Amino acid sequence: MFDHTFKTAAVFASLGLVLAVVNAPPAVAQEAGAVTVTFSGITRPTGALMVGVYDSEAAFAGGKPVEGFRLEVAGPEASQVITGLKPGRYAIKVFHDVDGDGRMNTNGFGIPTEPYAASNNAPSRMGPPSWADARFEVTAEGAAQTITID
Amino acid sequence: MDRRAFLTAAAAAGLAQVVTPEQVFARAAASQPAWSLAVADVAGDIPRQPLRRIHGRPPAGLAGTLYRNGPARFRRPGGDATHWFDGDGLVRAFRIGEQGASLEARFVDTFKRRQDTAAGAVITPGFGTLGSDRAVIGSADDTNAANTALLPIGGELLALWEAGSPYAVDPRTLETRGLKTFSPDLAHMPFLAHPRIEPNGRVWNLGLAGRRAIVWTLEPSGAVERTALIDLPRASYMHDFTATDRHLILVLQPLIQDRMTLPFVDALSWRPEEGTQVLVLDKDDLSKRRLYDLPAFFCFHLGDAWSEADGTLRFDACLDSTPQFAVHGARDLLVGKAGRNGVSLAMIALHPDGRAELNRTPLTAEFPRADPRRAGLARSKTIINTVRTEGRPLLRGVGVSDWRTGKADLFDYGPDQCAEELLFVARPGDDSELGGWLIGTSLNLKARATELHVFDAAHVADGPLCSWRAEVGLPVGFHGAWMGG
Repeated sequence: MFDHTFKTAAVFASLGLVLAVVNAPPAVAQEAGAVTVTFSGITRPTGALMVGVYDSEAAFAGGKPVEGFRLEVAGPEASQVITGLKPGRYAIKVFHDVDGDGRMNTNGFGIPTEPYAASNNAPSRMGPPSWADARFEVTAEGAAQTITID
Repeated sequence: MDRRAFLTAAAAAGLAQVVTPEQVFARAAASQPAWSLAVADVAGDIPRQPLRRIHGRPPAGLAGTLYRNGPARFRRPGGDATHWFDGDGLVRAFRIGEQGASLEARFVDTFKRRQDTAAGAVITPGFGTLGSDRAVIGSADDTNAANTALLPIGGELLALWEAGSPYAVDPRTLETRGLKTFSPDLAHMPFLAHPRIEPNGRVWNLGLAGRRAIVWTLEPSGAVERTALIDLPRASYMHDFTATDRHLILVLQPLIQDRMTLPFVDALSWRPEEGTQVLVLDKDDLSKRRLYDLPAFFCFHLGDAWSEADGTLRFDACLDSTPQFAVHGARDLLVGKAGRNGVSLAMIALHPDGRAELNRTPLTAEFPRADPRRAGLARSKTIINTVRTEGRPLLRGVGVSDWRTGKADLFDYGPDQCAEELLFVARPGDDSELGGWLIGTSLNLKARATELHVFDAAHVADGPLCSWRAEVGLPVGFHGAWMGG
């Protein structure tokens, strides 16, 4: 029962570390429409959401995001418009850094103690949310995602 | 087999499986033994109902509530729990006062229960239930059945499981307040169903994760006094531990978690050749530890421990020779099969010279309890469930075994009853060991009704001083707690 929670913690913990290094200039050719991401259901209006956008299953499972940002939390909802993505398939991971320390907190046994979620509200089923459940299409018209967290 | 014969056989096998729900139901009903009521489903919460007094009179000065917990919903249309330990926790309140006695019961409103209810099937994995990959599991608490025991503390009733946090329940309404998080960094940390409570109200408990454990110390108010993480010599399955006034005693039986799989019981290997180890920790300094060796045995439950003048530590335990019941018997129960359960009372002594001693008795015994005013201190009496019937999985009697005299004072409820745990309630003004009453429930299979009994703790064999009967027969539960007043 514990193995998957360790894995979940590791997968999300990687998010905090990689956000600092993501600032790739957006691709110019074939730019897709804007992606509007709304985070809802926030019960503790403190800290920040740490968000990563991924373009492959491998990256989603613990690699680098193509886009990452930190979103201050001030109420039950927060949103962000992402531009500059190429058309294609993407998935989003987010954790709520409730205490604002920049990392995903875990308890003494490595189990996440801060809320996390993924695009399509992909569930944790015996492990972290899967790429298959979380991926969505970004077209020339863009995309919209409402992710419930907390 | 040629292709044509194979297809014919396959078609016949397919046809054989075409039966109507009515046929299935009729077959199941015909094959269910009388004791199956002990693991039957309760459809929903039970509003407060008076209990009918069927025998004797309640002793003067006895007033309070016996809270009990146990699994009470195992089956759903789309799929069932396949292990006794995986039913939804039902908290029962047996209240005794001047107006008579009453029963009320309410399910703990767990994430697991909500998820299984929404799915119309038991999809959440558990101790011995595989579940489905449709289940959402963010942490072990999403599989928490809150079905094993109750700890009244800090004005709350904590419904305990073993691999997750407690659920807080309102002792007055039995309404679920939610998952108990002592502090943000302790969220989802496991809390065993058998905390050890010092006579001054301080609580010690463990939570296990393989070869690591958290040691909890709670103040009598319910606030966390301290927690510590410790390493263990092996990843034993541990349902219970015990304590003296100065030591924590962890029995590391050779039922070892050595792989990661679901359900949890399938991740355990029985390795009797490795024997049982007993780890003793100093409460004041958890780094001070001693390790003892004993022959292999399986146990769920231990009695309160104490130390003697020469430094010997003693505690009793309800032992079986193998984990057969935990692994198979408690699965078989849910499908009406009675497996072997050979649990009996034993005394374990840990001597200062490093020698450990195991003395088994032939007395059938489970659910050991003692006088809570002597927890961790010298005592001689152990309250038990006892009396086995051949071909029946559950016990039918209760009693007190006295280590000093070697005698047992037992009462047999009879072949139509399943006994449940007995607790001690002190008689006001009586400080002697077990000076007071024993209170507990049974399931009367013939009357199809749950009963509440009070015994004089010094005269169990005389039978109950008073018995009450409910209008409903609730499935047999696990552990409870008494709150006076």
